Amino acid sequence: MNRLSLTDISLKVWAVIVFIFLFLPIAVIIIYSFNEGRLLVAWNQFGFGSFGAIATKPAISDAVLVSIQTGFIAALIATALGTMAGVALARRAGKWAPWFLILLILVTVTPEIVDAVSLLPWMVFLGQDAGLSIFDDGIVRLVVGHSLFATAVVAYIVRSRLIGIDESLEEAAADLYAPPFKRFTQITLPLVMPAVLAGGLLSFTLSLDNTIVSAFVQVSGSTPWPVYVLSAVRTGLRPEIAAVSTIMLLLTLAALGLVAYVLRRAGDSPTDIAKTVGGG
Amino acid sequence: MTTITESPPASASGPRAPRSRTRRLKLPSFALAIPAWAWLFAFFVAPVALVVWFSFGYKPGIFGTHANDVLSFDRYAEALSPTFFATFQNTLWVGVVGTLICLAISIPFAYWLAFKAPVSRRGILLAMVMIPFWTNFLVRTIGWQIILAPSGLLSEALQSIGVLNEPLEILFTRTAVLIGVVYNYLPLMILPMFVAFDRVSLPMREASKDLGAGRLSTFVNVTLPLAKPGIIVGILLVYIPLMGDYITATVLGGAKGNMAGQMVANQFQTAQNWALGSAMAVVLVLTILTTVAIAALVAWLAAWPLRASQRLVLGGES
Repeated sequence: MNRLSLTDISLKVWAVIVFIFLFLPIAVIIIYSFNEGRLLVAWNQFGFGSFGAIATKPAISDAVLVSIQTGFIAALIATALGTMAGVALARRAGKWAPWFLILLILVTVTPEIVDAVSLLPWMVFLGQDAGLSIFDDGIVRLVVGHSLFATAVVAYIVRSRLIGIDESLEEAAADLYAPPFKRFTQITLPLVMPAVLAGGLLSFTLSLDNTIVSAFVQVSGSTPWPVYVLSAVRTGLRPEIAAVSTIMLLLTLAALGLVAYVLRRAGDSPTDIAKTVGGG
Repeated sequence: MTTITESPPASASGPRAPRSRTRRLKLPSFALAIPAWAWLFAFFVAPVALVVWFSFGYKPGIFGTHANDVLSFDRYAEALSPTFFATFQNTLWVGVVGTLICLAISIPFAYWLAFKAPVSRRGILLAMVMIPFWTNFLVRTIGWQIILAPSGLLSEALQSIGVLNEPLEILFTRTAVLIGVVYNYLPLMILPMFVAFDRVSLPMREASKDLGAGRLSTFVNVTLPLAKPGIIVGILLVYIPLMGDYITATVLGGAKGNMAGQMVANQFQTAQNWALGSAMAVVLVLTILTTVAIAALVAWLAAWPLRASQRLVLGGES
């Protein structure tokens, strides 16, 4: 009995240590966002100066706006493409399906840096050599770059949800002569709605977080927030960066909470939610 | 199940049934996947293929970035020359050690979360694992920069309790990169492993104990094998992005903690040698694929005697 509880206690201690490890840098960023010093790394004294300084620096709010705008459009595209692909994979899988799955897996396992260095010459080629000037636009480039991984993630989520749902409702609709499009919008889509919403919000956060691809494909004038931070890493980090990060952390938490709420209402257990939010 | 809805129009699609034929033409089974397929082809397959093509070219003069009129494997030889090879070695070291540390941290943690943590609080605990995962990657790495800096939190704390007599010199070394990557990719190991442990049903483990197996024996012979798929997913989810990491090494690595991702980025952004950068990117991807294949082979071979022995034990008991 004694040995038994000893294992349990050490496991619990381990869990506490892991949680401290997981939250340490986040806590540090939140605390340091109240740093009144000139440089982020050197703590001076407590104050709200950095939050006030955000308003005086248009570059910061511009970068955050670019990020939000990009995230929104990228999430819409990834959700639309990924949902259709996920439905096709779950309901109409034919000989093509394994090949398509391989493509999706390749998209997810390719290191982001490889995506980034391939998209840069490709955008230059499309925009200048092929004359498609739309690809010279900063937002378009960012949206394209952010939508790839997200499309694959949405497709996985939608597919795994739909596979778990019996197809009888859709069959009944077909038996009652509902045309395919109506069957899709009125039966299939409502069934997968929780997965679609979760996928959309995940795409949005993935886009907000994207640094590597953004750093390569961005055009000056539409710098997204993470790239702004990355250039500040090289030139000197100031407390405003931590302040904006704290605000954005709260926004991300709100988005995550919303995902969990939607999935919870759809009847998922915490484990299912973890699976969905974990991307597979 | 799909065949039921599709078979009536398919069987009636002879020359006599033009109406159902058009309906079938309107919706081939992969129609819904076409937009995603086309999108990924245009912006993933094509650009990556272009980079592979660049890797066989060369850099023409100071102002050119790439040329492909003479094709060769020279850029690959250059990418594997001693200077760059050391960085690939360094990347591989960080990748393998980092993944192993994540594994060592995650197994007891995920086990605790799946079997020991109070069920009512499991949702909130899982959410707590996910919060760092969804905090901006770059920002949490900067958090580590603050912690590990010579005048930073950890350094001062260690000095005040007398463990260290001088400032901590850990930032901008390989160790700092290792701490950073373990931190950044840990949730990707914990989540699939938790899901895998969670699937191993309690009755299964109880049956093992009822048959006289100890706790450790149950864990090694029942829980771990059943959770294997999730553990493998976790290892891949950590190892693959870790090998291509660019941000952690940039923020915490400095000159001593260089990784392959930075090297590729430098060729494209600073050196403007797209041909060499492309070859490095291809080498990086091949390194990842080869090491995963080798690891899979080793694991399979290592499990061979174990599988044989287990089969014997089971056979002997029944």
